[in-house]
Amino acid sequence: METKKATRFNHLQKWESTLAACIRCGYCFEHCPLFKFTGWESDAPRAKLITAFGLLSGELELSETSADKMFNCFYCRRCEAACSSGVTLTDVFTDAKKDLVEMGYTGPGTTSITEPYCAQCLLCVQSCPHEARSHGENGIETDPVKCQSCGICVEICPAEAAKIVHTFGTGKADLIDASNRFLDTHTSAKAIVFACNWSYYPDLQASRLPESETHDRDYEIYVNMCAGRLETETLMAPFINHAWGVLVSCCPEDDCQHKDGGKRAKKQVARLQSILKSLDIDPERLQVVEIPNGDKTLFQAEIDTFIDRLNALGPIT
Amino acid sequence: MKRMDVSKLREIFGEQNIKTDPSDLYSFGSDSSVHHAMPWAVVRPDNTEQVQKLMVYANQALIPVIPRGGGSGMCGQTVPIQGGIVLDMKHMNRILEINLPDVYCRVEPGVVDDDLNLALKSYGMFYPPTPASSRIATIGGEIANNASGVRSVKYGATRDAVLGMKVVLPTGELVTLGAHTRVEATGYQLHKLMVGSEGTLGIVVEATLNFVPIPEYRCMGIANFDHLSDAGAAIGEIMASGAIPSMLELVDSVAIKAVNKTMNLGLKEVAASLIFEADGMVKEAVDYEINKMKEICKKHRGSDITTSYDPKERAKIFMGRKKLFPALSKYDDCLSSTSLADDMAVPYSKMAEMAGKIHEVAEKNNIIMTAYGHCGSGCMHTKILMDTKQPEQWASARKAITEIYEYVRSVNGTTSAEHGIGLSKAASFKVEKADSLKLLQTIKLALDPNNILNPGKLMQAPDDWVTATGLRYAVNN
Ligand SMILES: Cc1cc2nc3c(=O)[nH]c(=O)nc-3n(C[C@H](O)[C@H](O)[C@H](O)COP(=O)(O)OP(=O)(O)OC[C@H]3O[C@@H](n4cnc5c(N)ncnc54)[C@H](O)[C@@H]3O)c2cc1C
Ligand code: SF4
Ligand code: SF4
Ligand code: SF4
Repeated sequence: METKKATRFNHLQKWESTLAACIRCGYCFEHCPLFKFTGWESDAPRAKLITAFGLLSGELELSETSADKMFNCFYCRRCEAACSSGVTLTDVFTDAKKDLVEMGYTGPGTTSITEPYCAQCLLCVQSCPHEARSHGENGIETDPVKCQSCGICVEICPAEAAKIVHTFGTGKADLIDASNRFLDTHTSAKAIVFACNWSYYPDLQASRLPESETHDRDYEIYVNMCAGRLETETLMAPFINHAWGVLVSCCPEDDCQHKDGGKRAKKQVARLQSILKSLDIDPERLQVVEIPNGDKTLFQAEIDTFIDRLNALGPIT
Repeated sequence: MKRMDVSKLREIFGEQNIKTDPSDLYSFGSDSSVHHAMPWAVVRPDNTEQVQKLMVYANQALIPVIPRGGGSGMCGQTVPIQGGIVLDMKHMNRILEINLPDVYCRVEPGVVDDDLNLALKSYGMFYPPTPASSRIATIGGEIANNASGVRSVKYGATRDAVLGMKVVLPTGELVTLGAHTRVEATGYQLHKLMVGSEGTLGIVVEATLNFVPIPEYRCMGIANFDHLSDAGAAIGEIMASGAIPSMLELVDSVAIKAVNKTMNLGLKEVAASLIFEADGMVKEAVDYEINKMKEICKKHRGSDITTSYDPKERAKIFMGRKKLFPALSKYDDCLSSTSLADDMAVPYSKMAEMAGKIHEVAEKNNIIMTAYGHCGSGCMHTKILMDTKQPEQWASARKAITEIYEYVRSVNGTTSAEHGIGLSKAASFKVEKADSLKLLQTIKLALDPNNILNPGKLMQAPDDWVTATGLRYAVNN
């Protein structure tokens, strides 16, 4: 290919050698929550780097859709952890976003937005762990370069005006739908596990297991982008749908990517436990556990202990 | 461009399983090779019937169709050199059956190798061909490329693990090839013809695969050598000794230096290291095999020999090899690690000479090349480190590769041991297989009379790989 440099990608430019250094092995894409959700390789991290290369070299035309590839990212850095070649993908995406914003593209991709009926209470501005929200002339604004799509503003907003448009299966409605579907279709279903993407979630398993292996599962794991953003409705919906219990995994308090997500999750669970108690439901049926990043063994052990406990308690009558 | 009717694709696959926006198509134009070309559309089937309908349509409209799995092929096998429709098989990813009494499993082609192994693990079994890329490579792609890996020295390549399959032919017809039994002599072994066909003869829609028990014991060792020729002699002797290594890997001085330079591992900078492993159900048997390999290394002046059963120690021994990829990528900011001439096979007695030849050719042509690989299978890997911006470096790479393949062929070696031919290795492939090219083309056209399934690959690929397609790198004018 001949180089026809698009001069406007001033920030992305410095990653030119990194884009060449990526060996395009694809080791990153099985781990990406976007790919896991859509199943399209063109949403996966490798494709984002290829898109960045295309934009920088001028081979790929800049458009809303190509720009959106850069704005769609949860900054979970799973791709970086899996990368065979030490590529710091999210740094590349951030610089691409800076250029795109300067050129008038703002996504939103997975960036949070604010609906016009915002009450201007500023709760989200105070709670955003990445200082991405501010109050300006046009009301509340999100800086798409800084936003890391944790969803904490969405959870905290009393007017439900803070929103993430592209949730890739990790938003409130997605989680409620998916957990209801599991509970409805599995007579053996007992528990729902909400796993924070940062603590641990099963990496691969993109393939579908034989029906004989999955039809009598006790529990299902659903990934969210921060345990600190799990809304009341999400955590309580499984109980309405006859689950025996709900388990939440969060990161250790000193290791939260979104500042105090673990703390928030624990507070939320404690609050809901007291509601369960007042309804005469054993509060142990809702639990939160700390799982350090990538600790698969601990995660499985916690799930097994929780299921054992539920078996002792039996269904909610 | 031939006319492609998107509404026809919509009818077959539904809107949500088609991509036509350039921002999606652009990334489907690449794999792990140096090549890039734009497809016209990407479709994602969920079942065999959709694949059949697509082929009937494409065959009548004369539109190229390029099957794609994980897109981890290293030679441009999935790069749509003539445009056309990319058939993304990743969504046909059901593990259909794990049949323990009959020791086989049936899977759809989009199942990822690691996922299959995860499912088999709970039965104490594993699927052995497993390439290094097993976390992304699909069974369909592994069959089409005849993938193999570190354990193939003992357990064989994909070719040896495939019992049978269902295949959609380029005309849309569905055929069942092979059997569900360990042996079969019922006519032409057409399922084996599909292995290594690089998506040019048919689309695998289901495969029946063999698996084996996970060994109880695994012991790994390492030996350092001051001379490549000593390591080379040890390889041949180990392979003829009766001890069957479950892994036998060579790492050369350039690779060791690269790992030390970028990862600070402090490995001893010797001419070569051999990493060897034995596995089995009986510890005494594994002991016997590992000791035999140790003795042979010693005999050939191997030093610093250590062996261990402990998984942590084994991980340490393998660290240098494992860290090689990231090390090469970080070797120098100006240099990229490219997959070119990267997997030739030579007879055991030529392994050391081959490594020496690689160093000599690299130096002469002003590029950096390492030699490492699954020497127990006769497979030598290389990576070419070069400044991909400089056109002169591409010219040098072209020259170096030609010289290396000339050597490979002169010692009865073969162009590709693992990764296949695609576009990047077609030039050497055509020379090596000169007297069977016509036959290959006859087979191709018998199955694919309109030449629509992954055209322009293998014997049909252009002779010059540098200009065959656009390159994935920005090259200065
Ligand atoms: C970092 C890295 C390490 C690697 N290590 C190894 C290794 O150790 N050993 C090894 O052998 N290879 C290795 N490879 C190469 C590659 O991973 C393998 O060739 C693998 O089998 C490709 O699988 P895939 O699913 O990615 O196939 P793709 O790259 O998507 O496709 C490969 C070929 O298969 C065809 N194809 C895909 N699906 C089907 C189907 N259903 N029916 C018919 N044809 C189909 C395609 O048309 C194409 O010709 C490595 C690659 C990388 C990037
Ligand atoms: S940071 Fe997470 S969401 Fe973003 S590309 Fe990487 S894996 Fe995907
Ligand atoms: S894992 Fe790293 S080197 Fe491989 S494709 Fe992803 S970013 Fe590139
Ligand atoms: S709270 Fe999270 S989602 Fe909301 S703006 Fe800040 S970073 Fe983005």
